Amino acid sequence: MPVNTTLADFSNGLLLSTLILYALAMLCYASDFAFARHRVIAGTGEADAGAAAPEAAAMPELVTAGAGSGSAPASGASQAGAASLAIGGRQGSAGAGTAAVAGAAGLTSHGGPSDNAPASRWPSGFWLRLAFGLTCTGVVLHVLAILTRGLAEHRVPWGNMYEFIGAFTCMAVLVLIAASVWYRAYYMGLFVLLPVVLALGIDLTWIYTPAGALVPALQSYWIAIHVTAMIVAIGLFIFGAVVTTLYLLTDRSQRRLAAGLPSWSAGIWRHLPVPSILDRLSYRSVLFGFPVWTFGVMAGAIWADHAWGRYWGWDPKETWSFITWVVYAMFLHARATAGWRGRRAAWIHLAGFACLMFNVIGVNLWITGLHSYAGMS
Amino acid sequence: MRTALILLFLLALASVPGSVLPQEGIDPSAVTQYYQSHPSLAPILDRLSLFNVFSAPWFAAIYLLLFASLAGCVLPRTFRLVGSARQKPPRAPSNLGRLPASATYTTDLAPAAALDSAAGLLAGRRFRLHRGDGWVSAEKGYLREVGNLLFHIALLALLLSVGLGGVFGYKANRLLIVGQGFANTPTDLDVFRPGRLVSPSDLQPFSINLLSFRAEYVTSGPQLDQPITYDAAMSYRPQLGGPVKHYVLTVNHPLVVDNVSVYLIGHGYAPIFKVTDGTGKVAWDGPVPFIPVQQTTLTSEGVVKVPDAQPYQLGFAGVFLPSAAVSANGQLESVFPGPLNPRVSLVAFKGNLGMNSGEPQSVYTLDTGGLKRLPVAPRPLSAGQSVKLPEGAGTITYLGYQQWVSLAITYDPGQLPALASGIAALAGLILSFLVRRRRVFVRAVSGPDGGTQVSLGGLARSDAAGGFDAEFAELTRLLRAEHDGRSVQASRIGDGTVDGPDDFDDRERGRLAVPAALTVAAATATDQASTGESGAGEPPPPEARPAVSRTAETATPEAPAVANPETLTGREEE
Ligand code: HEM
Repeated sequence: MPVNTTLADFSNGLLLSTLILYALAMLCYASDFAFARHRVIAGTGEADAGAAAPEAAAMPELVTAGAGSGSAPASGASQAGAASLAIGGRQGSAGAGTAAVAGAAGLTSHGGPSDNAPASRWPSGFWLRLAFGLTCTGVVLHVLAILTRGLAEHRVPWGNMYEFIGAFTCMAVLVLIAASVWYRAYYMGLFVLLPVVLALGIDLTWIYTPAGALVPALQSYWIAIHVTAMIVAIGLFIFGAVVTTLYLLTDRSQRRLAAGLPSWSAGIWRHLPVPSILDRLSYRSVLFGFPVWTFGVMAGAIWADHAWGRYWGWDPKETWSFITWVVYAMFLHARATAGWRGRRAAWIHLAGFACLMFNVIGVNLWITGLHSYAGMS
Repeated sequence: MRTALILLFLLALASVPGSVLPQEGIDPSAVTQYYQSHPSLAPILDRLSLFNVFSAPWFAAIYLLLFASLAGCVLPRTFRLVGSARQKPPRAPSNLGRLPASATYTTDLAPAAALDSAAGLLAGRRFRLHRGDGWVSAEKGYLREVGNLLFHIALLALLLSVGLGGVFGYKANRLLIVGQGFANTPTDLDVFRPGRLVSPSDLQPFSINLLSFRAEYVTSGPQLDQPITYDAAMSYRPQLGGPVKHYVLTVNHPLVVDNVSVYLIGHGYAPIFKVTDGTGKVAWDGPVPFIPVQQTTLTSEGVVKVPDAQPYQLGFAGVFLPSAAVSANGQLESVFPGPLNPRVSLVAFKGNLGMNSGEPQSVYTLDTGGLKRLPVAPRPLSAGQSVKLPEGAGTITYLGYQQWVSLAITYDPGQLPALASGIAALAGLILSFLVRRRRVFVRAVSGPDGGTQVSLGGLARSDAAGGFDAEFAELTRLLRAEHDGRSVQASRIGDGTVDGPDDFDDRERGRLAVPAALTVAAATATDQASTGESGAGEPPPPEARPAVSRTAETATPEAPAVANPETLTGREEE
């Protein structure tokens, strides 16, 4: 079936609009940092003050009892009497580290975070609402751009690098939105959209490939399984890598401040939560991403077996998927090993991401192999 | 585990050169090229097995060490898991307030009744129980360890399956011209790479004939030249003398005969030549496969060897252009992979082909050592045209072309076990990520005021995905509701996680590991919060004792001190 070029052009327009919306969203996230007044790190969750009253009523006895040595954030929370979900002060600060969970009532079952009080989920403040709205609109256009591309080509719309980058950046933004709502990680918006906008810009200019048919080697239902898994995993890993970078930066800034050294970036990082929370968020993204990646590599092996006659042949792409997998597994091990948690593990995490990026970009551009989409040898 | 980490890292590191340098097993011609462009470096790299990384002895050494370390790690852990699954949870520590998560309240129930209902609640939630005098301890989440072990054992099985395929399987290649056939025997295969324990008689006795081959390409637009379809229609006999079956082989749909898979991995053109030698005898008549040197337009090169020609042996080196056209700079080149305007141009040689020297020769190269080039002006031939060779050497006629496909034939008995291990590994991984192992303790003692003081404590190990705190809070809420507890005097749900494997070691049963360096930091009265009690509407009991609450300063400075992992936020707008 011939390519529907009108629809393909429409898809290109949609992707460009997506890029513009994301760029605008970034500006709004930045304005939120600049203009909205935020409490310094380790205050209570932003929506908690509002949500706290009913929770406190439902569960009045569970009370803030943390805040040793009058650590400012936590005691502030208990004074408010509304510290439903207080977060312990900075790690390592004397006696901090515990805070009460009066909001336990809100956590009605040990299910996921979705059980939290809904009131606390949504963004607050003009700039943040605008930024989040733009992000969501952008992602809708992004999904539509991918859908229309697929309809124009009568196939799965991730058959070449242009389409692949378009797809995993979309996944990264979806992860951002999910994390924003689930974990109230709205502060991630600016930092995740930055690489997404860069990648989409490069994608639309240098990597752009017109719509077309697939080479025979890619004509298989396995493309829908294997490549989709990779896209999901990469979206999660991008998010994880951004969080980890922020973790390392905030952690460094805090250590400098603690040591009495100046930290020029502290002004930015005070909009972010304490490093330990970032650390957990990044761990979680790998916790989701790693099994998906494992599945994707396995699906790739099964596909390789169908197309090339062996399930593993140390093709450069396979080799780098393996290396990526090993480094992320090392991260998981490191995170479970005393003495490796924290910064060292974070560096391993970033090394894993570097391998991933080399696989996605480097191997496609500089190394020829069966995955060069050249079709048959 | 540290050794395993290092070995894992080495394995990853060791596979890097295999992806950067050309590999014998994957692309031998690229290795030859590398030798030409780096004549001094290549032999050194070769000595280090860097052109054969994945079968190098040092690669195997890392692999085997990892295997050993994995086995040495998994086996004892399995025994320990079996052992701990049969043991009861450890007894409750005396001071539950020291645990990462804890809560205390008073009730009017007698201690024994309070404990009974606590045990009932925990048992209803499928905790394993251990009861003692004044306490209940409960544990849940062994599936986490089961999942983790399943994952590691499955990795072992995967490594074994790969080995199995390497020892009992084989790989072969066969180039097959349309109209020809072959049988699956070592002599009839172009390349035959048997596993260590495969003998020629183990080969499944099928035979295949190629009936036709069809390739389709994009004929216009930006994707010009890109292939769309390859179909190879073949007839085959699964058994010698058995019934004939038919199959259309395409790229993602291998033919499976007798557990052997046959794949379509390449295709090309085989121009047909007829060579008449100096004596007037037909010395060659048939197709000769040419190898594509340019993938997009299938410009192909090949050689024709005519050892039977008299009085001299003849050899030809040729270029086949499926769609010849004159380019802008006046050169003749192929502009499309399909056969729109096929042309062949040849260079002719006479003399000795050197085929009797005993050394095996490639059918795709001409050893020009004993040959003399004949002065024939190169001219692109179309079907039916001939070249008369000078010096009475004979005539060569280009009659047309045929197509060929290259087939990969593999037999890998390790395939299914590998797939099964892969699935088991993934299942184990997900299981170990989803489940957390945790312990909950309840103590009930009669208080001085006649009421019963109930305290709860809990901790989870590797609560990677978070959620134990919420579960603990929920348990506390349910139990308190059941006991109609009057007030909660203290509750602390900190980071209920003990991450390190050693912190939760079963060998230390009974001695519960708690993050070290617990300090009594503050004792906070709780009037404030008791005031708004919802259900009972009672005023706060005046006798409410100051609750003891403590602050955990975990031993590892890195350990997160987060109240509730669900709230990954730390900002507030005012
Ligand atoms: C190819 C090699 C290996 C891979 C890909 C791998 C991967 C993993 C993964 C993904 C986890 C889960 C981490 C977690 O639950 O936090 C894990 C846990 C674990 N691995 Fe491995 N592993 C490998 C080899 C080994 C070896 C050789 C050992 C022992 C010497 C080992 C010991 C452990 C232990 C003890 C855990 C449990 C950590 C915990 O429960 O917190 N692993 N491994």
